[in-house]
Amino acid sequence: MDRIVLVAARELRAERRQPDGVVAAVTFIAVLVLLESLVVGPQIARDADVASALFWLALAFATILATMRSFDRELEDDALEGLVALPGGRDALFGGKVLSLAIVLVLVATIGGVLSLVLLDLPVGLPAHLLIVVLLGVLALPPIVVVDVVLALRLRARAALVPILALPVLVPQLVAATRGTSAALTGDAVGALSWAGLLFAFAVVYTVIGLTIVPAAIE
Amino acid sequence: MRTMQSSASLHDATVVMDDRVILRAVNVVVGPGLTLVRGPNGSGKTTLLRALAGLVPLARGDRRLSGDVLYIGHRPMLLRGLTARENLEFFARFRGGDTHAIDGALRAWGVGEEMDRPVERLSAGERRRAALARVETERVPVLLLDEPFADLDDAGVTRLRQTIARAREDGRAVVVATHAHRELDELAGSQIAIDDGAATAA
Repeated sequence: MDRIVLVAARELRAERRQPDGVVAAVTFIAVLVLLESLVVGPQIARDADVASALFWLALAFATILATMRSFDRELEDDALEGLVALPGGRDALFGGKVLSLAIVLVLVATIGGVLSLVLLDLPVGLPAHLLIVVLLGVLALPPIVVVDVVLALRLRARAALVPILALPVLVPQLVAATRGTSAALTGDAVGALSWAGLLFAFAVVYTVIGLTIVPAAIE
Repeated sequence: MRTMQSSASLHDATVVMDDRVILRAVNVVVGPGLTLVRGPNGSGKTTLLRALAGLVPLARGDRRLSGDVLYIGHRPMLLRGLTARENLEFFARFRGGDTHAIDGALRAWGVGEEMDRPVERLSAGERRRAALARVETERVPVLLLDEPFADLDDAGVTRLRQTIARAREDGRAVVVATHAHRELDELAGSQIAIDDGAATAA
């Protein structure tokens, strides 16, 4: 666990100095929220299902952007090789990346969420439930995206392949996150918690898959 | 200084990449002291070191190590966005070691003034020096250095030769793959000649 924290801290420190991933992700989500009401009209944009779906789609793409930037940085000067050559480096890589990306995504989701609530003037029925759903949705995103990026790491066309690989696998999570967010916005406590439970299960399952696959795949 | 007992070996090691055999049934035993790996371009020197470091899967054979390995490849393997000092602190902490020797080692390698600048703002030679300072800050028994003289100026070359000699005296196993630097021959306890993936003791 200490090594996972060390890898995450290394990642966050590098991201703080070279915030390309965060800036790209925040810009992407902000532009999407701003365009949303212009494209579909203010009435439809304020619909809980529509607003939730666009928020999570934007966050999914933001996750892919931030993860790819993180690994691009690792490939420069073979820094990734320096990490995996360390004893226990392969095992700590996945956990460290997921932890750091989750922290980055909490920041991105907070900015995107506040923008959505303010610009669309969305009513929030159950704020605490909304927080739980968003937090678990954010935790469920990085594990599978990190696995996909690692699998495509040595491919030249990875910028195109990662979204193609990741998005079909992310569909169930996006559905759960969208429905859970919509339920929290409209005051459906049972619905919000049910979808939150499913998001938690996704996070656990994909984390276990990642911990199993990534150390072998990175070779 | 404490003398280390160290060794690394490959037995019947075969490496296949992209359907091409890179190493062919290689048997190599590396003990304390300096071992030089020599061979023409594309002969498999880098793959031999990467196989010893456990960075490539063996299609056949096995690898044995008496302790941790420090592998420094063609490139400095430092993460951009971090300073030289932060990179070395990360490596040292990851191995469970302390970090008190890092400033001194970076100064000794001539990057004392630059140790708090992000590594992407350093020259190639400075990055190489910062990477080689790991030899002094990570006290692991087996050192694998792939073309370590690349990008170094004369002072850096001298410093590296001294560092290799000191590591050898400490009982560490030092494996250096290099085309040139014949003057290292007199320090070397053994040499491995590699050609087309086949290794022989020279």
